[in-house]
Amino acid sequence: MAATLQTPDTGAVLAARKAHDEKLAKRADQTRAIWFPVTVLAVLLALPLLQFTGNYNYLLHLVLFTASYVVMAAGWNILGGFAGYVSLGHAVFFAIGGYFSGVLLARFGISTLLTAPLAGLLAAVCGYLIGQITLKVRGPSFIISSIALLMIARILFDHWTFIGGANGLALPINDLPVLWAKLPYYYAFIFMAAFTVWATYRIKHSKLGLGLRALSKDEIKAESAGIDTRFYKVVAFALSAFFVGMAGAVWGEYLTYLRPNIFLIILVSANLVLMCILGGKGTIAGPVVGAVLIVGINELFVATMGASELNLFGTGLVMAVALMFFPLGVVGTLARKGKLPRILNWD
Amino acid sequence: MAQFIQVLILGLALGGVIALMGSGLSLVFGVMRIVNLAHPSLIIAGAYVAYWAFKLWGIDPIVMLPIAALILAGIGVLLYRLMFEQEAKSARYSEMTVLLTFALAMMVEGLLGAFFTNTQRVTSPDYATDAFFISDIFIPKGQLYAGIVSLVIIGGLALFLKYSRMGYAIRATTQNRDAAELLGVNVNLVSVVAFAIGIGLAGAAGALVSFVFSFFPAKQWEWIAMLMSVVVLGGMGSILGTVVAAFSLSVIAAFVGTWVGATWSTMTFFLALFVILLIRPEGLFGEKPEMA
Amino acid sequence: MTALLEVTNITAGYGDGPAILDGAHLTVVPGKVHCIIGPNGAGKSTLLKAICGMLKIRKGEVVLKGERLNGLRPDQILRKGICFVPQERALFPKMTVRENLRMGGFTLGDARELDRRVDAILDRFPILRERANQHAGTMSGGQQQTLAMARTLIIRPDIVMLDEPSLGLAPKIVQEMFSIMKMMSEEGVTVLLVEQNALMGLKNSDIGVVLDLGRTLIEGPAADVLADPRIQELYLGGRKAA
Ligand SMILES: Nc1ncnc2c1ncn2[C@@H]1O[C@H](COP(=O)(O)OP(=O)(O)OP(=O)(O)O)[C@@H](O)[C@H]1O
Ligand SMILES: [Mg+2]
Repeated sequence: MAATLQTPDTGAVLAARKAHDEKLAKRADQTRAIWFPVTVLAVLLALPLLQFTGNYNYLLHLVLFTASYVVMAAGWNILGGFAGYVSLGHAVFFAIGGYFSGVLLARFGISTLLTAPLAGLLAAVCGYLIGQITLKVRGPSFIISSIALLMIARILFDHWTFIGGANGLALPINDLPVLWAKLPYYYAFIFMAAFTVWATYRIKHSKLGLGLRALSKDEIKAESAGIDTRFYKVVAFALSAFFVGMAGAVWGEYLTYLRPNIFLIILVSANLVLMCILGGKGTIAGPVVGAVLIVGINELFVATMGASELNLFGTGLVMAVALMFFPLGVVGTLARKGKLPRILNWD
Repeated sequence: MAQFIQVLILGLALGGVIALMGSGLSLVFGVMRIVNLAHPSLIIAGAYVAYWAFKLWGIDPIVMLPIAALILAGIGVLLYRLMFEQEAKSARYSEMTVLLTFALAMMVEGLLGAFFTNTQRVTSPDYATDAFFISDIFIPKGQLYAGIVSLVIIGGLALFLKYSRMGYAIRATTQNRDAAELLGVNVNLVSVVAFAIGIGLAGAAGALVSFVFSFFPAKQWEWIAMLMSVVVLGGMGSILGTVVAAFSLSVIAAFVGTWVGATWSTMTFFLALFVILLIRPEGLFGEKPEMA
Repeated sequence: MTALLEVTNITAGYGDGPAILDGAHLTVVPGKVHCIIGPNGAGKSTLLKAICGMLKIRKGEVVLKGERLNGLRPDQILRKGICFVPQERALFPKMTVRENLRMGGFTLGDARELDRRVDAILDRFPILRERANQHAGTMSGGQQQTLAMARTLIIRPDIVMLDEPSLGLAPKIVQEMFSIMKMMSEEGVTVLLVEQNALMGLKNSDIGVVLDLGRTLIEGPAADVLADPRIQELYLGGRKAA
């Protein structure tokens, strides 16, 4: 082999090296269409006017139902999406919120609409304490610990006679006429959903959000960059529990009863995870898109197959397909390809 | 004293089955880093195989065990090919597979529920309700047989892993997947085989479980938490650890059940999981990183 | 003189990420020691991973003795005669030294022959003999590297690729690694070495290869590469580059 030394000159090599580095760096694009979510919100606020023209209770129920899931999924997203800690136990905070406000309603007749923030606060405190323990581990161990949490809570609630044990607690029904009975809850959930989405946006772009996103990539590096990861994670846990707890509070009154086998089931947790994954974990619009899709798909299943066990199968199937083929979710995948419509770019 | 021994024996008798239930889970995690949340649902599928074989044709569940194991192993190969083979290359693999198996667990439960409904079932061969008596102490035959069969199967698994060429390859892949591949191990084949064995073990456990516990599709969530605490305590991936953890927790749960109350006996497992995560997340026999 | 291994203009990268290697080529001459140098992140490790099948090759070819290796898995490529010791050494921490050596001969069918070869290796490396029953994970970095390199000798491959065997080792131990490498070479094994310490690497090799930005810039006799002033400036720190 003949030795041919065709070295380019040094300046050229250094210039090429720089150009090469730049090629590898990704560009972020910043365009936002704030009018879109605002318009959607306005339309939803006006929607109950339809009641003057007929009975649209089912439609209102669907919107309310979706909005409640937006609150919870967006809340879950703070921990699962930003910090990367996937929890399958968030139904616990749903139940904590639901039972706290529900008991206040049943005993003292205070509407959950008033006590919901307190319920959220209680859930946040519980989240803070639980997070102190379970956030020591990450990845699969954390997920498992969250399931264990749910199982423990289920046993406790099932056997706690003060709150009705496994039979649960009946709550008073409000005395509004049928057409308007849903309205308080409807507006409560729309308001909470809007607030939650706005809050997650603020959180994502705060110092906390930055820290969370850093530690979700590499906890050790984040720590050596001076981020108190332990504290950040626990705060994220508490915040996400807050929103879920708040949603649980109002949901209880809307449902008019509390029962462990409604509030403390893995399907509730699973739905939150599923919505965030399908919509796009860690994005602002993701949980909203996911909630709309999942509620839609669920209604479709129920309409075609009835509320059967096959429903569970369907949920699992959608989740598996989403994970395997769109692990970044709708928003994430479109953004990665640079094809995210401006109206969904809320980040 | 007699009561103490009695409770100890009941705890030990269940420990064997729980160890078998957990060993497949541990193996699959060790080799493929898959935390298989669907494992308990597949155990229940195995239990249905044994249940119907007994109900329809009167076949003894212990006789049915190898068949249930084979059927489930076949399903395992299929699942691996469909769901996990591609995922093995993705970056956040471990976390991804937890969610994927979670989805699978829901699918299995949904299917089983649609076919067999959520009524409690139990296979009832004669020995399931019979017992040996040694003076005051009784040993339920069903649990004893199930425990013995479990230990025989786990022993066989341990020998296979220690001495066979495939076992060598499985252990090597467990410890360092890339290195195994660089030394000529076809890690994909090893993964399929290990996954099939793991799910086959779920089938075998299912056949035994069918007459030891009552079961229905939604029972899986309780078992997920129970088996996870066993496997995490044992150190994910360590079969020996799983066995030791299964017996310890089972005995503790038996005592808690007798002295504190039956509902608290399952709670033992869940609380144990929390305590372990708190003080020794790597488990009894596990190594530090990887999971944490 | 025909090449043993011919790598022509390969493109490769991780997952669906950008191409890390873009136009790398390499000619491996039988029986010689080859040293690949280049700055951190140049793609040296990536090149070795691409050759041994750990990374998918997007474009270009890897040909061993006239046979195309593209698309084969690492275990298949090992059977063709290329053995790779990655930067992180690839040991089985919870297996003993002896078991690790046995794993080195996993592809051998004959168990008795395997035992014989393992014993022969233990004879040649007394430090390993002393620790035959110790778990590999509990050994020092130098001992682990010795084990990783010794293990490649069990199947007597055509080519051994070593990724920075000197990484994190004391200078004296580094010398030992180079002497093991020399021993391999004397036995007729062709060596492909990636080395951060370019001076030391090139002095101990026959052929030098410079890789930068995922491309091969220079290939030639190690002495020539070492003497080239531009190389001195860019990669050897002879004079300060801008
Ligand atoms: N597992 C990986 N996934 C994605 N990118 C990677 C991975 N490993 C390396 N890279 C990228 O590939 C490029 C080349 O890395 P490589 O390890 O081949 O460099 P190297 O020449 O061996 O450097 P060093 O001397 O530091 O070992 C780097 O830009 C690095 O960021
Ligand atoms: Mg390198």
